[in-house]
Amino acid sequence: MDAALFPVWLAAVPLAGAAAGLSFRSRIRALQTWTLLVSLAPLPMLLAMADQLRGTSWSPWLLGLLPVAAFVSVLAQTVHQESRSALPMTLVLLGLGLGALVAGGGLGVLLQAALLGSLAALLYCHRHIPGAVPWGGIAALAVGLAGLVVAWLASPPMSTLALLAASATLLPLAPVHGGYVAAFRGLPGNLPAFSAVLLPAVGFHDLLMLMPDLSAEMLRVPAMLALAGAIFGSLKALTQSRVRLIVAYAGLSLFAILWWYIAATGSAPPQATVYLLAVGLVTSGFLLAWHAVQARYGEVDLRAIRGLAYPMPRFSTFVFLLALAAIGLPPFGVYAGFMGMLLTPSLPLTAALAVIIGTLLAACWYVLGLAQQLLFGGHRSDLRYRDLYPAETASLALIIVLLLALGVLPPRLLDSGAPAASGHATEPFTWTR
Amino acid sequence: MSALVLVPLLPLLTVALVLIGRGASCERLARWGAVPVVAAFFGAVATLILIASRGAVTIRFYEAAAPASPAFPIGFHFDRLSAVMMVLITAIGTIIYLYSVRYMQQERGYARFLALMMLTVSMLLCMVASANLVMLFVFWQLVTVQLYLLANRHEHRPTLDGAFKMLTLLRTADLVFLAGIVLAYGLYGTIEFRELADRAAAAPVMLTLWPGVIEIRGATAVTLLLFVGAMGKSVQFPLHLWMPVSLYAPTPVSALMHAGLVNAGGFLINRLAPLYGLSDTTLHLVFLVGIVTVVSGACLMLVQGDIKNTLGFSTIGQMGYMIMECGLGAFALAVFHLIAHGLFKATAFLNCGHVIHRARREPVLPHAPHTTGEHDLQRLTWATGFVTTLLLPLVILLATHGLLDMPLLDSQGTVVFLFFTWITSSQAILTLTRLRAVASWKVSTAMLGTLGLVVFTYLFAAETFTHFLYPDPADVARYFQAAALPGRLFDGLVGGTVVVTIVGWICLYAQTQGRVMRMPAWLEDLRLRLYVPLLNRFYLDMLYARLGHGVMRLANDVDKRAAGRVP
Repeated sequence: MDAALFPVWLAAVPLAGAAAGLSFRSRIRALQTWTLLVSLAPLPMLLAMADQLRGTSWSPWLLGLLPVAAFVSVLAQTVHQESRSALPMTLVLLGLGLGALVAGGGLGVLLQAALLGSLAALLYCHRHIPGAVPWGGIAALAVGLAGLVVAWLASPPMSTLALLAASATLLPLAPVHGGYVAAFRGLPGNLPAFSAVLLPAVGFHDLLMLMPDLSAEMLRVPAMLALAGAIFGSLKALTQSRVRLIVAYAGLSLFAILWWYIAATGSAPPQATVYLLAVGLVTSGFLLAWHAVQARYGEVDLRAIRGLAYPMPRFSTFVFLLALAAIGLPPFGVYAGFMGMLLTPSLPLTAALAVIIGTLLAACWYVLGLAQQLLFGGHRSDLRYRDLYPAETASLALIIVLLLALGVLPPRLLDSGAPAASGHATEPFTWTR
Repeated sequence: MSALVLVPLLPLLTVALVLIGRGASCERLARWGAVPVVAAFFGAVATLILIASRGAVTIRFYEAAAPASPAFPIGFHFDRLSAVMMVLITAIGTIIYLYSVRYMQQERGYARFLALMMLTVSMLLCMVASANLVMLFVFWQLVTVQLYLLANRHEHRPTLDGAFKMLTLLRTADLVFLAGIVLAYGLYGTIEFRELADRAAAAPVMLTLWPGVIEIRGATAVTLLLFVGAMGKSVQFPLHLWMPVSLYAPTPVSALMHAGLVNAGGFLINRLAPLYGLSDTTLHLVFLVGIVTVVSGACLMLVQGDIKNTLGFSTIGQMGYMIMECGLGAFALAVFHLIAHGLFKATAFLNCGHVIHRARREPVLPHAPHTTGEHDLQRLTWATGFVTTLLLPLVILLATHGLLDMPLLDSQGTVVFLFFTWITSSQAILTLTRLRAVASWKVSTAMLGTLGLVVFTYLFAAETFTHFLYPDPADVARYFQAAALPGRLFDGLVGGTVVVTIVGWICLYAQTQGRVMRMPAWLEDLRLRLYVPLLNRFYLDMLYARLGHGVMRLANDVDKRAAGRVP
């Protein structure tokens, strides 16, 4: 395969699959099976092009996680008329995302703009979903789109700042995180679970591409926004009673840690990639688990459901493991990435570390509160409990396995070779030696 | 030597055996599950003998200079300290497992409970055998999770709330521990125990927190942060509140917690003794926290109304004692203390479980009549106790000078050992005063025997056990030197405690003789006034609850203000 055409093929296969899937749209089960197969189609292509991908910003192993994330999200999806549109859109987003990651130059920007536009369109079309918050999300995605346009047309440093803003809408950074939060709440079917991995991955890729052009002054603002976002996300997560919003704000606060690290050190070592993917998988896992509850009991408030530990042991085991992973406990990827980032010589010893560690402590509070509320307590006699089906079990098991793999594999396997920034943010309260 | 790695992993076989069983086979497999646990105990003993004869063994599965995965540098370090701890953990784990196999029969979640217990034992063994700070921290955190799972009874609301509070408190301490590790790595570039202390000693660093205002030594900052982590696990004031709420757990769990888990803090300080020896500030703070914990734990114990709570607060007091010993530089004594306490407390908890079980079957229990009558003790008994208590210091002084050649006046540490010896034997004798004096000579002989046992044990701890754990006397002297308190303060503390003990004797004697002790009115009033705060555990639960509510109010405020403006 010609290396120049590889990004085109990588994007085209899932897009073509989505188009072909329209012929199955009256048969949902067949459509689901078709989507599962097509979502895995990029994997052999990535393996075949592994050598050519070396030296780019991503290793084939990491790119391969996106099709797997799509596969897992579709696998856990309950077959329902309302989710008919979600299945082909999964393939569309997968194609656009993979293409945006691998393609460079104008094609990459075009594909990423199409991705943002598709998300905004989806949010608009499904604005009637109860509890959806589309307008703020659509506005944030519009900011991202505008950033991409400016980055394409303008010259540095304007283009750098514009692309930085665009990446902040995908790898969520307050105050332009609306699109990320809206995706969790306003997208149908399995799309929130898939978006939880896809959006941060694309945003992170943009950030890596910008690294050489980012000066210390440019990084100061993201560093401060990251700290503010970590606190804001934690406080918002504490007040929510809807699981999707808890998970969305948890993602915001945990990704803020990544933003702060990159801004403070001016680098993105392999541990940062591990952390990114682990947080994405954890949030995706929670959404899949909650989807299983919704499929059985509808869109319930968290306070209305409890005591699932005994009647649903498989579900409870997975949710508890996800909770442990989310709060940064070993041997999962969030811990490995977080510890790996903190134990780098370039980490500045500043007062901001207290905010970072406090963010993880807050995550312990609301994530474990969520798990405890769901799993423990007396169960309700008016509910009929049914444990996970094999497909749901398989998808959550795969998420856990991936989190474990990210936790224990040597980070050098995931080395992206990303260049460092030209500077790093200096902070006012530094412990000098 | 690599086979030593199997010792911490053997209890995992028990976990597997227990989990594969179903129904009746579960109980049979649970009994067979005792085999790997017993094997782990014998393995630990063999490890101790091997280490004592051949020296420490380190097995690393990573490059110490540049670990490929800094988050998981897996390595095991078997030295005298870890071997002693492994023997203790496996011994207690074996006893508790054998007890639990029968005690928890017919209970819901039987297999899960046994599996969690043995998983905890395995994690504790891995923790004490860790080769570096990060691996120790990995298992430290996993033990926190195990505590949460073990202490949690799914359908019981107070237990749920208590378990959540426990996890929040412990996780807070764990994350401060993490901050200490990050700071240590940032300052000294290593996570290896010995290298950390060597680099800290070779290149002292000053941290400027506030230019011109607050400066702190690097070693002090690191040890302080690590100590907060130790405070959480070892139930030090004010992070001790998770202990009472964990008492809803089954009795074997309480035994494992109080005999095994709470020792983690003392172990951590011992493991990092060379680093702690570089910071007198931290050691003094450790001492202070220990004293406050001793006093609060003992006072809180006095107002409890049931067995488990009484034992729970007793543990808090004892852990305060242990930490206080660390704060005085008596690290080996702290290890000795935690071993003795672990064995004693496990016995007490398992016995109380037995009593509770019997009480469920025999509703007339407890049937032992309460006696409120005065103790009828002979003057000879009192005289023996009184004289030995007062003369004991002189006897020990002469004995140690003559027999052990310990430079008493030069070392606060030696005085510490003697003082603890005297306090312990006095306490033992005071306790014996509750015996009904059938014949006063018997009681007097028992007192003298107790005295001899305590003196021998403490001198053994002072000399032999210290030498076993810390073979280099220069190290021991350095730790005592670092922890030395200002002379007048030290003398005041020792003198004050001596006076309190003697006054206690006098009051007790007067009470039993039917004499009325004239107490000042303010003192009587104080006793009554203190009762309510003690019953409310110094209102710390309320303070934590208010702190939590304050955070939630802030979160709700932010949520309201952001509504409509920021998604």
